[in-house]
Amino acid sequence: MTRALLAFALALVSATAAAQFNLNINKLIETGKNIRDATRDVNEKEEAQIGAEYAAVLLGTGPLLANPEVERYVNRVGRWLSLNSERPGLNWQFGVLDTGTVNAFSTPGGYVLISRGLLERLRNEAELAGVLAHEIAHVVKKHHLTAMKKGKGMEAGANVLSMYLDQQRSAAAKEKLVSGMKEVMLRGLDKDDEFEADRMGVVIAARAGYDPYGLPSVVQMLQASNPKDSNLALMFETHPDPGARLDALERAMGNRMDRYASQPQAADRYAGVMRGK
Amino acid sequence: MRIAVLLCLLAAAPAFAQETGFAVRDTEVKKEPFSDAQTVGTLAEKAQVKVLARQGGWMQVESGALSGWVRMLSIRMNSGQSSFASGLRSLFSVARTGSSGQTVTTGVRGLDKEDIKNAKPNPEELKKLAGFSASKGDAEKFAASNPLLKSQKIDYLQAPK
Repeated sequence: MTRALLAFALALVSATAAAQFNLNINKLIETGKNIRDATRDVNEKEEAQIGAEYAAVLLGTGPLLANPEVERYVNRVGRWLSLNSERPGLNWQFGVLDTGTVNAFSTPGGYVLISRGLLERLRNEAELAGVLAHEIAHVVKKHHLTAMKKGKGMEAGANVLSMYLDQQRSAAAKEKLVSGMKEVMLRGLDKDDEFEADRMGVVIAARAGYDPYGLPSVVQMLQASNPKDSNLALMFETHPDPGARLDALERAMGNRMDRYASQPQAADRYAGVMRGK
Repeated sequence: MRIAVLLCLLAAAPAFAQETGFAVRDTEVKKEPFSDAQTVGTLAEKAQVKVLARQGGWMQVESGALSGWVRMLSIRMNSGQSSFASGLRSLFSVARTGSSGQTVTTGVRGLDKEDIKNAKPNPEELKKLAGFSASKGDAEKFAASNPLLKSQKIDYLQAPK
């Protein structure tokens, strides 16, 4: 009797242990899968595909500016800057969105869009270079992919990406991917990634031969603008405060970029292209 | 020479004419935009300035009787200025003004959160975008034109501690 009870108790314990063990194994496998997904490297071809989808969504908000001269000019400035980045071989494409909004966007794979509203507020080509170089930095550092993996909890975001990449790009996977992209567009990138893109943008512009103070000058322009202007609402919501960006740039730059400060601003060329001359 | 300087000032003036800012800390005012130029005075922290021009990392400012050049990043701008006489906005507006004299863009709403939420991917515009792209050779030719943009190696800046 005692022995039977003991055997029963032992069986119970080992059964529970086994159940516990199985549970742990399953959990481990599940966690392992998520860790793999979350850190799965997106290769360059996949990045380009994700980027094209991302850019198509941005272009779904409104058309490109129907001014081939301005579009080509922005592409030349941008492509030259990209050649001075760590990823010169991407299929870089630049464009102007025909909207009064003041903003600029980039996507994985090398798509960069600047709004007409921002172009209208810039004063020279070095400022344009600063803005485009900031966006190029986001692409070089793959900040969007990082942000998408963090979407709605890291596992969900990573799963959206791997679902799209692994499941033959099904309609359902694509829909989830698009909503993941929209989430990043609405929420913005990581604040530290914005500060990093500012620091890198200044250097990429200087490497390409421009006055590096173009970007700080644009951020000062943003600081001077009316925060209640609806054209600036999305940009202000998705970026750190301009004052904080200037503080960070000032500390990072010190006088380190001064030797490049006499490089061209190309104000005349900028004004000429914008005036249609 | 004097005419050239005057022309430069005239060209620079409209861009900054209406902007004001303040010093983030006590700041030396220089006679010229160089750190070893003569110091003509000191802006006290929070002193208000009118911004007249920018050159490289320097800003030409005016504060009461004091005027000269300060390091651009020692100035923060006053927010909420309706300062968009700056930039080229007026030029675009002129281009968009029809024969009636009415600006076509008036009342056009910008891209907002709703537009993003409702956006459907637009592959046609994406194709159009590709049509404007510049090759490596195009970009190099552009950089070699006037003004010359010379490529050089520069290390990235460290994040401030």
